[in-house]
Amino acid sequence: MFSQVNLSKASTLVLRMGTDAHLYDDPDDVNISPLLDSKFDSEKCEALKRLLALIAQGLDVSNYFPQVVKNVASQSLEVKKLVYLYVLHYAERRPNEALLSINIFQRDLGDQNPLVRAWALRTMAGIRLHVISPLVLVAVRKCARDPSVYVRKCAANALPKVNDLRLEENASSIIEIIGILLNDNSPVVGAAAAAFASICPNNLPLIGRNYKRLCEILPDVEEWGQIILIGILLRYVIARHGLAKESIMASLLPNIFSNEKTGSESDTDYLDIKKKYEIGIEETELAGMVSRSYLAGQDKYLSVLDNNSDVMPSEHVSSLFTSSKNDESVKILLHCMSPLLWSRNSAVVLAAAGVHWIMAPMEEISKIVKPLLFLLRSSDASKYVVLCNIQVFAKVMPSLFAPNIEDFFINSSDAYEVKSLKLEILSTVATDASISVIFQEFQDYVRDPDRRFAADTVAAIGLCAKRNPQVAKTCVEGLLALISPKSNTCGFADDEGVVLIQAITSIKDIIKQDPASHENAIIFLIRNLDTIKVPVARAMIVWIAGEYNSIGNIIPKMVPVILRFLARSFPSEPIETKYQILNAAAKVLLNSKGEDFDTAKKILSYVLELAKFDLNYDVRDRARVLRKLLSCYFTSSEIEEKEKADNNEIEIPVLLAKHVFGENVKPSIETVNNRFYLPGSLSHIVFHAAPGYEPLPEPCSLTESDMVKGLEGPGQTEVNDSDVDSGSLNEEGSYYSEDSVTASTRTDDESATSETGNNNNTTDSLISFADVGKPQQESNDVSELMSKGDLESWLGDNNGQGQSQSHSVDERIPSARISIGDISARIKPNIYTLLDPTYGNGLKVEYKYSLEASTISPSLVSVDTFFQNCSSEPMSKLILTDEDSESVDQGSSESQKDEPVFVPMEEITTLEPGQSIKRVIHVHFHHHLLPLKLTLWCNDQKHPVKLRPDIGYFIKPLIMNLDAFSQKEAQLPGMFEYTRRCSFTDHLAEVASDDKDGDMSSTKDSFLIICQSLASKMLSNANLHLVSVSMPVDAHLNDTSGLCLRFSGEILSNSIPCLISVMIHGNCFEPLNASVKINCEETVFGLNLLNRIVNFLAEPRLTS
Amino acid sequence: MLQCIFLLSDSGEVILEKQLTGHRVDRSICTWFWEQSISQPDSNFKVLPVIASPTHYLFQIVREGITFLACTQVEMPPLLGIEFLGRVADVLSDYLGGLNEDVIKDNFVIVYELLDEMIDNGFPLTTEPNILRDMIAPPNIVSKMLSVVTGNTSNVSETLPGATSSCVPWRTTQLKHTNNDVYVNLVEEMDTIINSDGALVKCEIFGVVEVNSHLSGIPDLTLSFANPSILNDVQFHPCVRFRPWESEQSLSFVPPDGLFKLMSYRVKKLRNYPIYVKPQMSSESGTCRLSVMVGIRNDPGKQVDSIVVQFRLPHCVSSANLTANHGTVNILADKTCSWSIGRIPKDKAPQMSGTLVLEEGVEQLHVKPTFQVGFKIMGVALSGLKINKLDLKNLPTPAHKGFRAQTEAGQYEVRS
Repeated sequence: MFSQVNLSKASTLVLRMGTDAHLYDDPDDVNISPLLDSKFDSEKCEALKRLLALIAQGLDVSNYFPQVVKNVASQSLEVKKLVYLYVLHYAERRPNEALLSINIFQRDLGDQNPLVRAWALRTMAGIRLHVISPLVLVAVRKCARDPSVYVRKCAANALPKVNDLRLEENASSIIEIIGILLNDNSPVVGAAAAAFASICPNNLPLIGRNYKRLCEILPDVEEWGQIILIGILLRYVIARHGLAKESIMASLLPNIFSNEKTGSESDTDYLDIKKKYEIGIEETELAGMVSRSYLAGQDKYLSVLDNNSDVMPSEHVSSLFTSSKNDESVKILLHCMSPLLWSRNSAVVLAAAGVHWIMAPMEEISKIVKPLLFLLRSSDASKYVVLCNIQVFAKVMPSLFAPNIEDFFINSSDAYEVKSLKLEILSTVATDASISVIFQEFQDYVRDPDRRFAADTVAAIGLCAKRNPQVAKTCVEGLLALISPKSNTCGFADDEGVVLIQAITSIKDIIKQDPASHENAIIFLIRNLDTIKVPVARAMIVWIAGEYNSIGNIIPKMVPVILRFLARSFPSEPIETKYQILNAAAKVLLNSKGEDFDTAKKILSYVLELAKFDLNYDVRDRARVLRKLLSCYFTSSEIEEKEKADNNEIEIPVLLAKHVFGENVKPSIETVNNRFYLPGSLSHIVFHAAPGYEPLPEPCSLTESDMVKGLEGPGQTEVNDSDVDSGSLNEEGSYYSEDSVTASTRTDDESATSETGNNNNTTDSLISFADVGKPQQESNDVSELMSKGDLESWLGDNNGQGQSQSHSVDERIPSARISIGDISARIKPNIYTLLDPTYGNGLKVEYKYSLEASTISPSLVSVDTFFQNCSSEPMSKLILTDEDSESVDQGSSESQKDEPVFVPMEEITTLEPGQSIKRVIHVHFHHHLLPLKLTLWCNDQKHPVKLRPDIGYFIKPLIMNLDAFSQKEAQLPGMFEYTRRCSFTDHLAEVASDDKDGDMSSTKDSFLIICQSLASKMLSNANLHLVSVSMPVDAHLNDTSGLCLRFSGEILSNSIPCLISVMIHGNCFEPLNASVKINCEETVFGLNLLNRIVNFLAEPRLTS
Repeated sequence: MLQCIFLLSDSGEVILEKQLTGHRVDRSICTWFWEQSISQPDSNFKVLPVIASPTHYLFQIVREGITFLACTQVEMPPLLGIEFLGRVADVLSDYLGGLNEDVIKDNFVIVYELLDEMIDNGFPLTTEPNILRDMIAPPNIVSKMLSVVTGNTSNVSETLPGATSSCVPWRTTQLKHTNNDVYVNLVEEMDTIINSDGALVKCEIFGVVEVNSHLSGIPDLTLSFANPSILNDVQFHPCVRFRPWESEQSLSFVPPDGLFKLMSYRVKKLRNYPIYVKPQMSSESGTCRLSVMVGIRNDPGKQVDSIVVQFRLPHCVSSANLTANHGTVNILADKTCSWSIGRIPKDKAPQMSGTLVLEEGVEQLHVKPTFQVGFKIMGVALSGLKINKLDLKNLPTPAHKGFRAQTEAGQYEVRS
């Protein structure tokens, strides 16, 4: 035994000998520091490998940074490489130490060995320090002209790194270098294209200069570059020349089609083609949607839908199009693109297929079919993504894939997601000719051991029958065979139920198309009711029986019998079936005459009587409604009823009943997922627009003059371009930047709106304490709402927006919006100490974040600072300055725009003893959350102080009503939504004291107290707008579950809205569970803010 | 572009992480990913290549138990991420001779160095295996021994490989071989679906032209087929020139050194398939009798080797007792039943039969398993593709040429 263990150990030892295994297993079993300082390269190597192992294992070893960085000077390339790996991992955290390495990089950039030059450039750009960005730019510029292709390629890759620092003075030079590199030969162009796509994707004039050459070298560019370059070229062609009018995109825009017919006579051949392929394109509505959503943004497309009637002027339309047969640019693009369909890289094939899909003439689109289908076999990992794209292609143009159905036949090794996508495609492309083959396949799938997949197959059969009505009969027969008892002897296990339910649902949908022709199917179902035990399936059959009770000759005779049978077993039926029995009985009654009428009435009244005493309240309620609705049938006898037929009093309920039960309810319009994204994009796979997704540019938006401008001064135009286009990323907005003009106007607007809208923010926060609540409005609201007899006692409205409030009552949400009175008095922003009198020779400095927007620029955070002289001596020359302002020279401090920026404050010349002066200081934190080091000068003495940023004040209130809030919230799902939980205890003291008073209304009050304390806490700690407070209508005593407070704000620097909802759970008298949800496009900011909110909510209240 | 790459072991442990851009990705994302994939075992979360997590978009591929995970926050072609991860997996398994947790941990320095060369700032930099080999030496027995004896040796090349700047980046410059030889191998996989009626639904070949070249200098090769028209679709290695293929359907290329896939192709709508499998099932009162017959249908002309028939027992089968008159039957823990036949004997037709005992309460077996067949035939390409000739130009000395072919079963399925 013992020897065996040793043996196996020994054998693994032999295998692992000479590898770095021991370093990974015990990276820190020796002291690393002395090794790093060793003079032997091998020891340095070992130390660095140990550090790398620690990084790999997720440990933080940034404390070795100074020692590691000095080894960058080593001559050994291996040491260098390892140092680079380490430095790149930690540079951002240790910027000051990273600076030490710059000289070495500079030296290496002049090295003989291109590999050394390339590594030095990669690392230097990779450490991303603002201070050295001018140096990096010079280095990149130099390397962009390096004799070595590899170094030039690395230079192209370094450009996005420099651009990440977002320095405006660099922008023009970066663009210039991209221009140079795009002119380079093929290996470099790929990297240059990637840089272009990430830095200035909309500077299309830059492409225009090289367009033809770029197309020609496309096949020689390395595969990764091809993927990016294909997208860029497509964008350029559309922006410059417009869509090809022979393409599927053009044919799918119906407005244009109609115009083309009347407009141009010359394109007769084109119309012929269109006619030929029109048959191939199904569901033009959907397809048009697809093409439109590729092109313009979602918003624009929606507006087009809204005013569908106004057709674009035809001359304008025709100008949007070019011809893929005559236009040289389009022709060359397609010509150079077609060999890429043979690439072994699936991403290249899909990108090239996407270009064909959008630009190629319709008769050439079929070119993409084989390569796409080949991808399904040749690369397993990309199968799912490729199928997602084929799915959309097939929906728009089923004829494209119709001849290749066997490629979508399912293999047992396919993943479930792949199987269901294939099923959907199969049912889309099924034609009259292929349907029988597909059904043959489906029959096999139905017996697949994976029952979830079998159920999907059944659904697909239903779908096929709907699309091809002539096969409906066969489908129904096949489906009925599934239901018949002999195939289901295994006793309806859980997974079998899924198939059964789906089968009946499919049958139901098919019958709906043409009930009369499926009489036998209905009879069959009713006959088998006895054997089917799955509640949902049973309920559906009863529904079918009730719905079609008058079809044909046999069914009207069967249904009353079956109903009688069901009525007897009513108490033992599951709830779903009970509902349908009630409905069916009512329907039969409405349809029957003569003798049947009496039986039907008896059955119904029997069932209603049973339902009256049902355990389930919903069943009881439904029965009550039915009884009322059909009371005329019960109160009066048949004859009387006929006599009074003209009487309106009876007519109305009968009509109503007939309308509810008699009429065939029109099938609800199929909700089509109307979001389509460009083929091959990530957004297409995840079904939402990923950050950075852009639809194709507007056709012909790039004019000749743009091109000329681009040629003349690429730098200048691009500065504008990047400002406009990188919208969400442009967080700069610092007060001395170009857009200061717009900035100041925005401030004006804001102060105007805040004066009218929110009285919390109108004036200086100190005064705003007094200026709260408007009593007359309060009373207004009370009377208005009381008269509505609502559920709650309504107090004053904080916002004085009675209209929006009454609106919210109308909403169907089962919650009432309550108002919590003027909490402004309770809002007490935290006051922090900047300088304590004991350290400051009697000078006390406190600060609090102001709710008021900064007067200088909206992106600045204003901080109210209070200077108080607690000593007996007067003080003079008080001023706060930036700590770095002296130590770093002017040039570089300006370049560090992402660092917090402090606007120098006005100097206080003298401060008498006991006097206190307030100053407002403005800081641009750039979302940095580390304390800002400042220097306080007083009597020429220096006091280092720290200003702690509060993320709660990096936003400002955004006034919106509940509708706007929920609308906005719906737009920010998934990626943009975060939730955290915390406990909330602030209310406890108040609720407890309230409870002692023994007030009867204590439950209501405790709700109010909770809301008030929560809202005041939120508003005291963050600059937000309270949108609404809602509570559940059916709230139980002391149970706060469902209480929801909503706040809104927008980020100062970029005006991105930030929505916060706080949901409360738990008992009033216990600590509550609060779940805080934040919806914000700026995910990082949102997360930070969420953490902050959770922290302060959970913090117990200080006794005030 | 990609922000971070993680390598996860089959137990969800992060083996290593490589941050690619300034925006670091915390490894908590891996924890999230693993918890999600464990909490939804049946929804195939693990096989979805693109996942939208609360903070990042994830791309994943799984190779031999190792999960390669890449993260991004912005729009990018998802296939770029997936293809790149696949390339990383290929290169690593080539360097390390297979992939598993231990071998990655043992060679983590090489993995880091490779990743650093392969991707820069989230965009692929050098993915060509030949260049990578010149830059970072693969671990081999000599270097291992040296490192044991001398303490440490560098595996990082001191110079930039010449291929980075050449217009044929896949080929190492200045190659010299004493024996010049080139082998062309047609490796075909047959995909077949035979439905429950025994009818042939689909039969096609997915083939690869593998070339193993050891040629000096910069040779220029031209390979032509006798019957290129049967090819339904093709994909090429980047070394293949498009124009000659477009005009005369011949492959003209400067080959990389060593073994590589020159081209992959598909031949559809074939009629003949070599092996038939006839399953018969009949069930009553809780048991199911199963018998499977296997035999040669269309003789391919060569010996059919290593025949295996596999199928998954349905969930409602509680136990199975299966025997075969030839070969061995194994039932694995995950209810996979595997019948290894090997070669079909001349004197009898192999047959497997026995009973499946169904779970209590289940009277009849209503679901039908699919039988997957494996086989291998050496010396024949079932698609019928024939190589016409291989021309070698620009060679200092004449070279030896060799041709081979083989066919295996791909997705060869028989439904019952």
